[in-house]
Amino acid sequence: MKLVELKEGERARIVRVSGEEAVKRHLGALGFVAGTIVRVVGESYGNMILAVHESRIAVNDATAQDVEVANV
Amino acid sequence: MSKSVKIALAGNPNSGKTTLFNALTGSEQYVGNWPGVTVEKKDGILAGHKEVIIQDLPGIYSLSPYSIEEKVSRRFLVEEGPDAILNIVDGTNIERNLYFSTQLAELGLPMVMAVNMMDVVKKNGDKIDFEKIAKSLRCEVVGISALKNEGGMEAAEKVVEMAKKSVVEKGPGKLPDVPHVFSGSVEHAIAHIEESIQGKVPLRSIRWYAIKVFERDREIIKKLDIGVGEMKHIEEHIRDCEKELGDDAESIITSQRYEFIKKLMDKSLALNENRKGKATLSDKIDKFVTHRILALPIFILSLCAMWFLAVAENGPGTVLTDWANDGFLADGWHLPFTTHECREEGKYKGMEFEDAQGEFAKAEATVAAWEAGEKKASIEDEETGEIAEEWDIDEAAYNAAKEFEEPDPGQFGVWVPGLGALITDALDRAGVNDTVKSLVVDGAWGGVATVLGFVPVIFIVFLFLAFLEDCGYMARVAFIMDRLLRRFGLSGKSFIPMLVGKGCGVPAVMAARAIENERARRMTVILATFVPCGAKTVIIAMFAALFFREQWYVAAMMDVVGIAIIILGGIALKKTRFFAGEASSFVLELPAYHMPTVSGVWHHTWNRLKGYILKAGLVIFPACVFLWFIMHFDWSLNLLADEEIEKSILHDLGSWIAWIFEPLGFGSWQGAAASVSAEIAKEQATATLKLVTVGMEGVSSGAHIQNFFAALGDFPKLAALSFMMFNLFVPPCMVAIAVTFREMGSQKWGWFAIGFQLFVGYVLALSVYRLGVLFAGGGFGIWTAVAILADLFCLWMIFRPSKQ
Repeated sequence: MKLVELKEGERARIVRVSGEEAVKRHLGALGFVAGTIVRVVGESYGNMILAVHESRIAVNDATAQDVEVANV
Repeated sequence: MSKSVKIALAGNPNSGKTTLFNALTGSEQYVGNWPGVTVEKKDGILAGHKEVIIQDLPGIYSLSPYSIEEKVSRRFLVEEGPDAILNIVDGTNIERNLYFSTQLAELGLPMVMAVNMMDVVKKNGDKIDFEKIAKSLRCEVVGISALKNEGGMEAAEKVVEMAKKSVVEKGPGKLPDVPHVFSGSVEHAIAHIEESIQGKVPLRSIRWYAIKVFERDREIIKKLDIGVGEMKHIEEHIRDCEKELGDDAESIITSQRYEFIKKLMDKSLALNENRKGKATLSDKIDKFVTHRILALPIFILSLCAMWFLAVAENGPGTVLTDWANDGFLADGWHLPFTTHECREEGKYKGMEFEDAQGEFAKAEATVAAWEAGEKKASIEDEETGEIAEEWDIDEAAYNAAKEFEEPDPGQFGVWVPGLGALITDALDRAGVNDTVKSLVVDGAWGGVATVLGFVPVIFIVFLFLAFLEDCGYMARVAFIMDRLLRRFGLSGKSFIPMLVGKGCGVPAVMAARAIENERARRMTVILATFVPCGAKTVIIAMFAALFFREQWYVAAMMDVVGIAIIILGGIALKKTRFFAGEASSFVLELPAYHMPTVSGVWHHTWNRLKGYILKAGLVIFPACVFLWFIMHFDWSLNLLADEEIEKSILHDLGSWIAWIFEPLGFGSWQGAAASVSAEIAKEQATATLKLVTVGMEGVSSGAHIQNFFAALGDFPKLAALSFMMFNLFVPPCMVAIAVTFREMGSQKWGWFAIGFQLFVGYVLALSVYRLGVLFAGGGFGIWTAVAILADLFCLWMIFRPSKQ
């Protein structure tokens, strides 16, 4: 399942991050690695605010498309 | 102590790094020429320790090259090598912050980790075991609260002590004790790499280099110049790991770092269970602020608040501007709450100071007009040059007016002399001749004072933006606007430079550095200065008053035109091969909302404002002296009177290039001189125009300018509009151009930006004038055809299908 498919308030575990190398690297540094739990705090037109560890990360729909997640 | 100790202050964005830096160094900071947010490396002296330099690095998440900030920071850390690292970590988000810390630890430098926001950690009921973290990461760990100014200095003193000890004991050549965070096979491969790069890198950082080679970091591998055979051998080891772990090398390193941290957190961090997964106050605020429908109105409302504060009539911005222009920088000002009516006997008894000044000005005008043989006297508005008041005079009025003496401000309250008055006084007392006095007062000081006169407005814009940035709202603005700006090839983060650009283009171009995507960043630099800045507002105000009294919308339209250029220019540029390709991703951390500190907002505002004030001194000053010189002398270096400006060097220079402006409707030496001098600072366009039209018919400088445009042809209003738009939308002032060149990264890109801006400004002015003339019945000429062709070209650039 893609991260972009999650609804507000839902939680999921990251399985894989794909896409452009530099962006993937940046997401990795922010904690988007396999095994991390993300929660959707807010969603607007496919753009999302996510809770990762204790921080809030805003991503757009294209980026949320590139993150593969699984149900917890 | 002869040798200084250098401590690098490193940490994630929003970890409180800037607050700590300000607290540690106080006012003793050395910032580069044009600081952006915290983009440049700032140096400061540790308070009470003259030999210690604290070096503030940009807030970053990793030492992999992602953004400019990360590249700058890592180059600094591994190549210049500070003596020790002070790593600041957000205690409320320690897991994520430690990802960066593990990389810093691998550099093998002495390190102290300052866990910040301990007050919040305690309030939340969480517990962190510093000792376990210290043991695991091989560094010292202390708790601090930068906001409350607790523990920061102790942390700094500890790291200084470690730095000094390490110099004495170890020297930089020994193999340091660094944490090993990876699994067996990866550690094995890294050990092999360490062997093959030994001797090529400083021993203490060998592990950091080895890991980067494992990650196939191109920059590092190229720098180390590893032989082909050796590299093949290393590549085998990396491939083995990738096969075994089923992932690429870089992802393996990232994941295993987080695994290592997770294990460390399991034993050293006890989170308050009641708090887990609950919506924070920030989350609740974001429900509104990033709401589908409410987000935009809230943002527009906050912009309106900024405009009220900065430029609304009788708002704080205008009150302060008046004080600066008429008081502080000019003759002087009364201390607030000390003003009173004149109590001394005489013509002004019972009057307020302003009324008395008005009376005196009228009396002066009456005397001058009568002596010139006029039957009417008038006074003009200083800013617009318009006639403000006109009245009939006769001999009785003349005689009465002659009796008036200049009102003494001291009779109306406590009077503080202004800088302009002080300079004039000093020159009078020194007894210098009139030429030198004119040079200093009109030439040098006049130019500098004009620039300083904008400081209040720009200060308020920057103060407001600093507040929005520091409280966390700006990150949300970038998020909200991203969807929209993406269509024009820009990023949500492009919005902040454009807002800053309303104040001044120079920090605006600097602020574009925060954009990681190279294409979007370059495009932002090219487009941000199309937003009419504080100085351009002066041009708009004067032309609106002189030519567009009935067309009230012209002034407001200039902002709209600026925004339209950004949108259409963005669309057109995105379709060229230079900017093609999708800038698809957007990733931005949203810091928790918090009340900014006064000192934080102040430092932030001042860092931007300082650049603007420096510009007045370093660039405007010499440029204005030069301009004064070519305006007041002829080629044989004879001093000219004001009316003899047609003999000046400026006149000839203007005449030589006047043909360039002919198609735009103002091809005279005056128009050329004003437009070129506007490159010194944009508001100079109005000042020069007033000076070079002295010879024109008319009773006020405003009338001179009106008559100047009337003399140009049958369509003075169109010529005026063309002149104004040309000066608003060609490249910005020379300081902004210099910064644009630097930020574009190369001469080629710099010229591209300036060329684009010149093209836009010229075509815009050409079209407005030539098409305007055509519609007004002025006929069709060769330049009308050129204008239409240029417009068709622009439309094609905007609407052609993109290559994809």
